[in-house]
Amino acid sequence: MSDSIVVEDLVKKYGDLTAVAGISFTVKEGEIFGFLGPNGAGKTTTIHVLTTLLKPTSGDAYVNGYHVVREAQKVRESIGVVFQDPSLDDDLTAYENMYIHGRVYGIRGEKLRIRIDELLEFVDLQEFRNVRVKKFSGGMRRRLEIARALVHEPKIIFLDEPTIGLDPQTRYHIWEYIKKLRSEEGVTVFMTTHYMEEAEFLADRVAIIDHGKIVAQGTVEELKSMIGDEVIYLKLGRGPSNGGSVPCLEASFIKECRQLRPGEIALKVGNAGEAIPRVIELAKEKGWLIKEVRYKRPTLNDVFIYLTGKDIRESEGEAGEKIRHIIRSRLAR
Amino acid sequence: MEALSGFYVMTYRQLKKFSRARSRVIGTIVNPIIWVLFFGLGWSGVFNFPMAKQLFGGVDYLTFLAPGVLGMTLFLSGFISGISIIWDKQFGFFKEVLVAPTSRVASIIGRIFGDSLTTLIQLLIIFALLYPLAGSLSLMGLIPSLLIAFLSSMMFSGLGVIIALKMRSLEGFQLLINLVMMPTLFLSGALYPITTMPYWMKLLAYADPLTYPVDGMRYFLAGTSALQPTIDVVLVTAFTALSLGISSVLFRNTTVE
Ligand SMILES: Nc1ncnc2c1ncn2[C@@H]1O[C@H](COP(=O)(O)OP(=O)(O)OP(=O)(O)O)[C@@H](O)[C@H]1O
Ligand SMILES: [Mg+2]
Repeated sequence: MSDSIVVEDLVKKYGDLTAVAGISFTVKEGEIFGFLGPNGAGKTTTIHVLTTLLKPTSGDAYVNGYHVVREAQKVRESIGVVFQDPSLDDDLTAYENMYIHGRVYGIRGEKLRIRIDELLEFVDLQEFRNVRVKKFSGGMRRRLEIARALVHEPKIIFLDEPTIGLDPQTRYHIWEYIKKLRSEEGVTVFMTTHYMEEAEFLADRVAIIDHGKIVAQGTVEELKSMIGDEVIYLKLGRGPSNGGSVPCLEASFIKECRQLRPGEIALKVGNAGEAIPRVIELAKEKGWLIKEVRYKRPTLNDVFIYLTGKDIRESEGEAGEKIRHIIRSRLAR
Repeated sequence: MEALSGFYVMTYRQLKKFSRARSRVIGTIVNPIIWVLFFGLGWSGVFNFPMAKQLFGGVDYLTFLAPGVLGMTLFLSGFISGISIIWDKQFGFFKEVLVAPTSRVASIIGRIFGDSLTTLIQLLIIFALLYPLAGSLSLMGLIPSLLIAFLSSMMFSGLGVIIALKMRSLEGFQLLINLVMMPTLFLSGALYPITTMPYWMKLLAYADPLTYPVDGMRYFLAGTSALQPTIDVVLVTAFTALSLGISSVLFRNTTVE
């Protein structure tokens, strides 16, 4: 089976509240699958079902070919999980946290020691090996959690909002590890996020979830092409053969050409990346002088607005997240 | 084999955590010392008349109190360590255990076992401090007493786990501890004999799970007891089995809901 995860009509209710309202998707082996949605969309609930911590209300889900309820044990053996909430033991060192994990998964002795060192190296925490997690920053904790989830060489790793609450620079670092994780460890990654850039940067394919429903899925490009075209803006200087007025360019790949103001035109195309060289060629043929080329592609955020009528960044979002973090850190100490 | 590794590793974790939590170690030892010194020695002065020993089954008050203080310690330490699983639940480590392929029963029993080992270490330290103070504690009785102590510490730890698994949040945590702790301690006969309690209170004392370990340890350490020591041991064993059984089943069926 080359599908790592298969979800069919999955429903999860908490009492009256339907957190996941019948979703279906598949994740292919070796890909990074992004599960994108605002706060409360049902991302964590989905992860909990897929990682056997919650029983679905109805529907089926298979992970590595095993049913998440009937073959929960097999599923657990073959996955690694990084939860949204921190799950390290603060009193223990980085090494001890990983050691306990390894033992729980039945690895021991020299083999375990080597694997731990290898992974601490992988996430650049080797020098903090014997430091208690208590002293770690948010980014270091996240890295350690990722490393820990890999100790038993899982086929799939689940990452629930891996960069939540981290500053942009740290976030970028974590992204690098996630990319490396796929290229060096060869694992399939299922990750949730409510950051557009994160999904854009990392995911081969994305499912957008809102109010427990998947509203769209596909590659980032596919999703963007849903809302249509990319626009190329050209600023022209006076060319030899166009005395004053700027006529438009015509070609089969140009869907629309408009003059915005004298010397500036906008071209609607399907794919700006492919179109730009051809546009430049055409302009050359006509003897135009191009002073500036800009293009705008729709963002995933535009897609989200288009599909749900709201901005993912504004939806309930950040305020609640911040408060939760403050509460968490208060309780933790 | 695999079940054993879950057991082993949870025991390892609890011991490691204990060795790091210096304030907790000091706290659990200082507390009983305060009881013995200020409470025990204070009353010792009062019970310093010829007939007094008869009140406590023929031994001086400190000798009578010593097993009570050990019982109190094992109860507090066991119960609190058990209930502390609620912190794991709140802060994630819990999920790390739940999602692991190892036997959940083995890991929860391993956890309780590890906590009880740490309790035993504390008890040994306290006993060493009490021994020279109290008049006639039996060294020979230490081994059976520690056995009883270990079993009952698992019982209370299991009880803590059961309560923590049933609790939805940290609210009410402090209230619950206070509500449980005082009556359990006062009714157990740790501080004064059950035999002279009013009838209704005696009934409550018999329902108190701390009564039997205290009485059993008192038999072996001080040579006096309110009940048959075999009854104490049988009941402690039964309560422990029950407590471990229930906590295992609850933990096995736990979801993150
Ligand atoms: N244990 C629970 N009991 C009751 N309701 C719950 C529980 N967990 C989640 N919910 C509710 O289910 C819905 C989906 O929650 P979920 O945690 O899956 O969302 P999410 O997409 O992970 O959001 P976030 O960005 O906040 O992590 C929310 O409305 C939430 O309040
Ligand atoms: Mg979530």
